[in-house]
Amino acid sequence: MTAEVVGGVDVAPPTVASRGRTARLRELAPFLPAGLLLGVLFFVPLAVMFIFSLWTTNANLDIVPTWNLDNYAQFFQTGAYVRTLAKTVAMGAAVTTICLLFSLAVAYFLARYISRRWARVALLVIIVPFWSSYLLRVYSWQAILGEKGALNQVLLSLGLISEPSRLFVYNDIGTFIVLTYVYLPFAILVLYASLERFDYTQLTAAQDLGASPSRAFRYILLPQIRPGLITAAIFVFIPILGEFLTPSMVGGASGLLIANLIQTFFKNALVPQGAALGLLIVAFVTVLLIIFRKYLRVEDVYARG
Amino acid sequence: MTVLDQTHSRRRFLQLTGAVGATAALGGVLQACNVIGGGGAATTGTFNWMTWSDHYIQSQLDKIAKDTNINTAISELAGNAEGYAKLKEVKGQLDKISGDAMWVPNAYAKDGLIEPFDINELKVSSQLYSFAREFPYWQSSEGYMAYPFGWSPIMIYYDPAKVTGDPNDWQVLLDPKYKGRVVVENQPEEIVAYMARAAGFDKPYDLTDDQLTTVKGYLEKLKPNVLKFAQQATDSVAAMISGEAWLITGNLGNEDRVKDGGGPEIKGYVPKEGTVGWHDGEMIVKEGVNKALIKPFLEQSQQAELIAENFLANGRPLFNEKAYQILTDQGKKDQADRYLYAKAPDVLPTMVLKGPGTSTDKSIQLFNEVFGTS
Amino acid sequence: MAKNVDPLETMPVSRYAGLTRWGLRLIFAFLMLFLYLPIVFMVAFSFDASQTPSFPIQGPTLHWYDVMINNRQLLSAVGNTISVSLIVAVLATIIGTMAAFVLVRGRLRYPNGVRIAFTMPIMVPGVLIGISLLIFFSRAVHANLSLMTVIAGQLVVTVPFVVLIVASRLQSFDRKLEWAAADLGASPRRTLRHVVLPLIAPAILAGALICITLSIDEFVITWFTVGNQLTLPTYIYTKIKFGVTPEVNAVATVMLVATLLIFGIASVVLGRGRRRLPGRRRRAAIPPA
Repeated sequence: MTAEVVGGVDVAPPTVASRGRTARLRELAPFLPAGLLLGVLFFVPLAVMFIFSLWTTNANLDIVPTWNLDNYAQFFQTGAYVRTLAKTVAMGAAVTTICLLFSLAVAYFLARYISRRWARVALLVIIVPFWSSYLLRVYSWQAILGEKGALNQVLLSLGLISEPSRLFVYNDIGTFIVLTYVYLPFAILVLYASLERFDYTQLTAAQDLGASPSRAFRYILLPQIRPGLITAAIFVFIPILGEFLTPSMVGGASGLLIANLIQTFFKNALVPQGAALGLLIVAFVTVLLIIFRKYLRVEDVYARG
Repeated sequence: MTVLDQTHSRRRFLQLTGAVGATAALGGVLQACNVIGGGGAATTGTFNWMTWSDHYIQSQLDKIAKDTNINTAISELAGNAEGYAKLKEVKGQLDKISGDAMWVPNAYAKDGLIEPFDINELKVSSQLYSFAREFPYWQSSEGYMAYPFGWSPIMIYYDPAKVTGDPNDWQVLLDPKYKGRVVVENQPEEIVAYMARAAGFDKPYDLTDDQLTTVKGYLEKLKPNVLKFAQQATDSVAAMISGEAWLITGNLGNEDRVKDGGGPEIKGYVPKEGTVGWHDGEMIVKEGVNKALIKPFLEQSQQAELIAENFLANGRPLFNEKAYQILTDQGKKDQADRYLYAKAPDVLPTMVLKGPGTSTDKSIQLFNEVFGTS
Repeated sequence: MAKNVDPLETMPVSRYAGLTRWGLRLIFAFLMLFLYLPIVFMVAFSFDASQTPSFPIQGPTLHWYDVMINNRQLLSAVGNTISVSLIVAVLATIIGTMAAFVLVRGRLRYPNGVRIAFTMPIMVPGVLIGISLLIFFSRAVHANLSLMTVIAGQLVVTVPFVVLIVASRLQSFDRKLEWAAADLGASPRRTLRHVVLPLIAPAILAGALICITLSIDEFVITWFTVGNQLTLPTYIYTKIKFGVTPEVNAVATVMLVATLLIFGIASVVLGRGRRRLPGRRRRAAIPPA
């Protein structure tokens, strides 16, 4: 049975019902729970927050319905917000890059060279430590990277430095290290899911045809796991824009990121200002995603046969 | 067994486990979802209390439950602003809530969320220091807004081996000698308030624009000295223990914690320009379904013996005068004095109580401006 | 062809293959070390005699384990957290997988728009979602806060992860396999159950694991939507005034060991009797061509 090709996109074989309103509804039905969840529990409350962001708080901490754009204007008027957002984006990009590189290496290793059973065990061993309190793990990092911490002790005993270094923590380097630590397992899980089903004989075939391993890697493997790479990048970069605990604990006084600035408003019951800043970040990321939408295509890669 | 059969049985096993697990989990969750509890004027039952973890000791609650059949369902309080935001929405789901001094009148009472009561009606209140029963800002026509519990000024602690000269003011935090050696709590509003006090302003939560400009200068001098923001007291104490920090701000009791952790002997003081601080209390929620249980509960839980036990466990002064006597009898007078237990009348006037103010909005924006990326 | 030699072994291989393999092994080992280093410290701190753990630790003690066992609040918090995480993981996986199918194959009008809509909950700061849900639940729905509202709130931030990861796997799914199954007479439902789902199982599993990870330490949204129940994250993060003490480390250690044990036992039980399929590096008898 051959499938028809209509306009470049495969039409599914006739066993799939493809006509009729009820058939279409049945096709869309599985989307309903998620759609309801998103619509009712996310977009509706967010719309309320949007309205709040256009109001103000008075001295009595009540939200007063005076319509104004002050909360948004403030973002652009005070240089600190724009600069902090830029820094957050830069930090996010750096962490995403390193995470992708390392997780690609690990996921490739697990998917190709380890039998499936042990690879699943390895994945569990990788993720289980992250089922503990974030706060405790960051405290541990403070003890490792700090002036009297383990890292310094090792470097001192190896003679690489003569006195304890304060370089590793309470600055952007500390934030970078801990953020990489926090998001690495997510990237590994996503990329493993992508790499597990990849047919590695394609690489050997390419080499048979004369391609060098790096060419095979670049032109055969990477394009086919592109959806996985994009997803992994999204899972790392976007949550980093909302990270406030790590920067405040290991970032030092100059290490605050944009989510910290948003937190300061909420900690003092200033909901409209916090909401405005938070929604601006959402708008910013959404614009980014729209600009890069060509990379986020969701049609079947294989629909074209 | 063929592979397919094995897959089937393995899948069946997984299905069964999943189903059993899910049912067990669901059962556990449903059981944990407390029904709010029948209301009315019953004198036994369970009431719902949102508070900080140092306001109770589980063994004490168990004993009260055994003696009087009043049970408590505790939920944790993250902070005054969050607690206020939550109470505004959940109202009757809570019966009792703890809060800091100035939040009581300026937020909770003002919105009619709490029910003031006649504090002298409670027999156990006679154990309190008399001034604690007469805070003017807690008095209203309907009664007293909250039952006082504990207090602390914000102190500055320093390592005398590293910080010379016996400092006694806020200025030491700005000294460029201590670059990267200061740890402050991660509370932006309070950091601005500290600098306001350093600048000599009396109302750190109600600053004028001119005052804010002055404070900005102080904040900019503070920024390079700050090593990190402490998420919890553990953070500052750990920094002192490891020697990374030489100066920290915090509640009473840090010198004991540092010593307990194997750190150096540190000294603490209340800055001479004056400080900020807090005292807290327990409020009755007006729409609380089980609020009738609260007064009988307070009669039990605020007894001096329990308060003394709480002091020894948590290490900050409380407002129960009789408990001081008990501590002295137990031979703990030195410890109590170190924690300024009986010194409230001297120290309270030097501290401005934390709370919402008229300049909160501008203070936060100032903080963001200074501590954001420059 | 020689007996007992996997043809794969005799194929031409790049001269860098061995080096690459060792390089990857090294990277893997280094990363495992990196991931577990803080855990080692976290566990070590549970034995620290002082209230404020620091490095080096003071004389090992089991005191905090004792405190932990007697701390009913803490134990009930742990129980609640585990139940909530499991429920959230199961629900989010089911809801998200179903939605992912429609996203990739439902021939939606604006698939990119829907995908961006699903990415939005990840972008929004948790405190915004928490406060807005608090207001929504109490004013619009008039629901009492409880672990149910917590589950609902956590679903909002976990379902997107499942949708995105399953969708990305579905995108590169070779549909010819399904058409082959159809050719062989399988109904769409059987194809789904026996061909598609098993092959996207790694993505579903990854999504479920990510959900558990997100839910188990979710503090902000949980605090705003919880009723009079305790969860482990709220227990830990609300100790602002005086800080956590190491019984929390003790709990974390016990949970870590217990989870590893459970998974270890499960993988042994489930793996037993599984016929050894020819692996890429094992020798298998290949019948002569």
